Amino acid sequence: MTATITPYRPPQQDGRDGFAQLLHAEWTKFRTLRGWVIAIVVAAAAIAVVGVLLPHSSQSHCGSRSGAACLALVATGPGGEAVNDSYYLAAQPLAVDGSITVRLTSLTGLVTPDPNLPTTGPQDTMRPGLVPWAKAGIIITASTRPGAAYVAMMVTGSHGVRLQYDYTSDIAGLPGSVSAASPRWLRLARSGDVVTGYDSADGRGWTEVGVAHLAGLTGTVRAGMFATSPLVFFPNFPTYAEPGGSLSASLATGAFDDVHLSGGAPGGRWAGQNVGTIGANYDGPRIGLRQAGGKFTVTGSGDIGPVVAAGTNSIFITGTLADHLFGVFIGLLIMIVIAAMFITVEYRRGLIAATLAASPRRGRLLAAKAVVIGMATFALGSAAAAVAVIVGTRIAHNSGIYVLGSGWPIEVRVILGTGAMLAVASVLALSIAAMLRRSVAAVAAVVVVIVLPYIIGVTGILPATASEWILRVTPAAGFAVEQSVPQYQQVVGHYGPPDYYPLAPWSGFAVLCLYAAVALGLAAWLLRRRDA
Amino acid sequence: MSQTMTHGRNQTMTIARHRLPRSAGTARARADGAGRAWTGLADALWAEWTKLRTEPGTAWILAAICVLTVAVGAATAAATRCSGGTGCAIDPTKVSLTGIEAGQAVVAVLAVLVISGEYSTGMIAVTFTAMPRRAAVLAAKAATLTGLVLAAAVVAVAGSLAAGRLILAGNGITAAHGFAVVSLAHGSTVRAAAGSVLYLALVGLLSLGIATIVRDSAAATGAVLGMLYVPPVIALFLGSEPAWQRWVERYTPTNAGLAILNTTGLRDLVISPWAGLGVLAAWAAAALLAAGVLLHLRDA
Amino acid sequence: MEATIEVTGLRKRFGSTLALDDMSFVAAPGQVTGFVGPNGAGKSTTMRVILGLDAPDQGSALISGQPYARLRRPLSHIGAMLDAAALQPGRSARNHLLWLAHSQGLSGRRVDEVLERAGLTSAARRKAGGFSLGMRQRLGIAAAMLGDPPVLMFDEPFNGMDPEGIAWMRGYLRQLAAEGRAVLVSSHLMSELQDSADHLVVAGRGTVIADSSVAELIAAASADRVTLRTSTRPEAMTVLAHAGAVVAATGRDTLTVSGLAAEQVVARLSESGVGFWEISAHRATLEEAYMELTRDAVEFRAQPAGEEVR
Repeated sequence: MTATITPYRPPQQDGRDGFAQLLHAEWTKFRTLRGWVIAIVVAAAAIAVVGVLLPHSSQSHCGSRSGAACLALVATGPGGEAVNDSYYLAAQPLAVDGSITVRLTSLTGLVTPDPNLPTTGPQDTMRPGLVPWAKAGIIITASTRPGAAYVAMMVTGSHGVRLQYDYTSDIAGLPGSVSAASPRWLRLARSGDVVTGYDSADGRGWTEVGVAHLAGLTGTVRAGMFATSPLVFFPNFPTYAEPGGSLSASLATGAFDDVHLSGGAPGGRWAGQNVGTIGANYDGPRIGLRQAGGKFTVTGSGDIGPVVAAGTNSIFITGTLADHLFGVFIGLLIMIVIAAMFITVEYRRGLIAATLAASPRRGRLLAAKAVVIGMATFALGSAAAAVAVIVGTRIAHNSGIYVLGSGWPIEVRVILGTGAMLAVASVLALSIAAMLRRSVAAVAAVVVVIVLPYIIGVTGILPATASEWILRVTPAAGFAVEQSVPQYQQVVGHYGPPDYYPLAPWSGFAVLCLYAAVALGLAAWLLRRRDA
Repeated sequence: MSQTMTHGRNQTMTIARHRLPRSAGTARARADGAGRAWTGLADALWAEWTKLRTEPGTAWILAAICVLTVAVGAATAAATRCSGGTGCAIDPTKVSLTGIEAGQAVVAVLAVLVISGEYSTGMIAVTFTAMPRRAAVLAAKAATLTGLVLAAAVVAVAGSLAAGRLILAGNGITAAHGFAVVSLAHGSTVRAAAGSVLYLALVGLLSLGIATIVRDSAAATGAVLGMLYVPPVIALFLGSEPAWQRWVERYTPTNAGLAILNTTGLRDLVISPWAGLGVLAAWAAAALLAAGVLLHLRDA
Repeated sequence: MEATIEVTGLRKRFGSTLALDDMSFVAAPGQVTGFVGPNGAGKSTTMRVILGLDAPDQGSALISGQPYARLRRPLSHIGAMLDAAALQPGRSARNHLLWLAHSQGLSGRRVDEVLERAGLTSAARRKAGGFSLGMRQRLGIAAAMLGDPPVLMFDEPFNGMDPEGIAWMRGYLRQLAAEGRAVLVSSHLMSELQDSADHLVVAGRGTVIADSSVAELIAAASADRVTLRTSTRPEAMTVLAHAGAVVAATGRDTLTVSGLAAEQVVARLSESGVGFWEISAHRATLEEAYMELTRDAVEFRAQPAGEEVR
């Protein structure tokens, strides 16, 4: 056995050793285990099926009509969003450039008391009070068709003087409430389709509050005084998420004097009318215009502003894209379990030795696993979300449910954002499991870290401030990508999950990405340092 | 006794069967045949108890149950305030005991470890060789698990109530302000406390059943945690289907079982406290029964 | 660079146990190097350190002059089988080799080649969980050969093989060495190593006790013992004792002579005219040589049969 033998030199083989090969190997590992593939597909199916079947199988009923016909009643503003447009208007036509100026000496109203609080006296009667966004002031509107372009200067219940136009824009003016001792002067000056709003505390010094360029404001417009007061939503109990509750009406009355309309037809009379029925919630004798000499009182009910989710209008049912993503958290649960198993099974059977012998660069190995699981969950998650959103909104449409935020740009962002959120959460799960290595501990940890905060935040076990904090700070913040409609400060609504999240969509996603990046880095460092 | 065998054609062989002397042991064995079943179960109990107590992780997990329950309850109590001083719909006992919604996760993990750990290491073969009556093994695991969980739960619930009462008092939620009293002298508090202890034990049994059915430790953990935490969220999202929502709120394990925490506002509950606990018990029984059948039918 | 495994000065502690304490040896190409030692001697730890799975506290392990982490396409430099049971039961044998191949940029065709060489083609599509022990061993060897490496390392490859499998393995190892590869084999079966290995590294308590060729090791342990069978025992004993040997009577007509080579015994007896009818030079088996070497290094010794434990 001691004869000299020339050392073996293998014939040249083609084969490369790069990240691409690692990826290929990890992908092969993943796709050849039938159980994992089935589980991921089931997760995607859960998202799609729940999203399509679960929400809103009831139909809209509006008067004598139901279903998709109700959608014809929805008013949309110039920006395309659904709007409430109902108020009491006392106006005159304005054909040319001009302006309207008034002095407001009081804003009063009636509110319905909170049915959940113990009260003395009969429950049904409305009592004096102002809701925060009760409005009375002057308005220039293209027409009294709901959804028409408009500009309004107003005083509000507790937000001072505001300039609002085209439903979504809101600019603050003089703060403080209006009374006989501290009246407010308001002016709207129109030239063409540009309207400027001014306010004053003394009638002499005017401050420009803002300028509005409205495309639809050409030709003869209507200018006048208005008053309106929105519905109030009383949740059944003070939780954060999707509470049941009741909607109640409110009224606002503004007292105007010193009314001047320049540019109007001479000898014009102030004609009062109740504009809009969508969102109107009080239609009784108190609504209307009373005129005594130069003093006017206008009383109205309703709102001029965008429709937000969680039912602040009572005519048609609204939904959002997020309603069709109720299955995402179930899909997420399955996907993060698979992501954790993707690495813990290697430790369970000592496979890690074979894996590391084939690919000793451990940082790259972890990266390859992350890419494989991330791509798989992104692809299937996005596909499932697409099915849920697209099919679900079609079904909702046919039932006469108005889906807020539908339309291609937002839908694409929500679909791809959901897929990305699922992918990043899976990578986070993989990283945590790589650090813990034992499968039971890893699965429990990833469920507690990723899914449990969402469940706690959404089901409202904790008080609202705690739930909101959880949805900002924990990985559950990633669910914000599902939000398809913006929050409006000028509309009081229930801004909670599943429709609204405390962080903006990409901000929430960034929080989740930060968790995943830190965990991945830590896991790679530990993987390199520790024995296999 | 002799036996006649026929070989080939017309050849008979007579084989004398030797009668074995009846030993004393056989007589004794026949007398306590029924008793042997009980000793079998007792042996299994002793074996399972030894397994659990010599596993170093068990003590840590039991400690975690207590700590997590008390911590989450205390945190919830600290965050509970009534802005008006009075008139808030707050149930002090329920707030104090909120921690069991977190502690149940650890109980579930313990149950999974008790059975899935055997499958992953292959020790299940050794267990079933030593104790072939598989139903007895499952019963023994269930009993020892329940015993440990009950002990930890008593500590956890007691701690939660004490901490909760203290912290809520600091927030002004006391009897003087018109809120319910957290006191073990009151029947409603006793019911909530005892019910919570039972709740954790039942969650453990339910988890044991599911884990025995699923067997793989990672999948079992996912299944068990999903079973506990997913239905409440589903119920939330079923707002447009009141009938289904009501069914989910009444008949899924955690939704029903957690009704036992309520001491006030009992009229508005979807399901009454003890009935809710009964629903959870039914789920646990069904899971264990299915697990027992599958254990018997499947290969180890 | 020549295909070798070079281990130098390895030191590794696991908690309070010192698993490796200055382990150094070289596995050269063209021969089968046996790596033997009692349980707990540090053989598996050494192999894991060679593959970069565990990091040593001190020392180095080089494959063809490079540390494992720096090897490009490592499976084409060294093929190892550490634990044949390291398989996912739900995956088929072919798919297990497939992902390994893909990690080196190799194709499924190479997978089929090594499967055929290992005789597993018919079982390739079956789930690895259903494999018998012997089949798993062969799958592990197939995996080791995937990259056609010049260096091979097997941890207890004879474990669980039936006699036919052992014979196959023995021939296979010899063939690999004849091709010029460096083959490092750890085993407990001395009888197998005696026929397969050329060079032996004996380990004990984390360090190398002996490092030489098999022939030298056996010769060193043979200790010059001669067994003699004669009918005239007393005469033979006297003659040989005079010659300075230590003679022991071990049987009715058998003598064991220590201290004299066999030819000298024959010469002395012939000179004195003492007859004998059988003489044999005692050659130690590898097992005896090994037992003697590692007597002090054994950590876990069971009580010999017959002794009672009190």
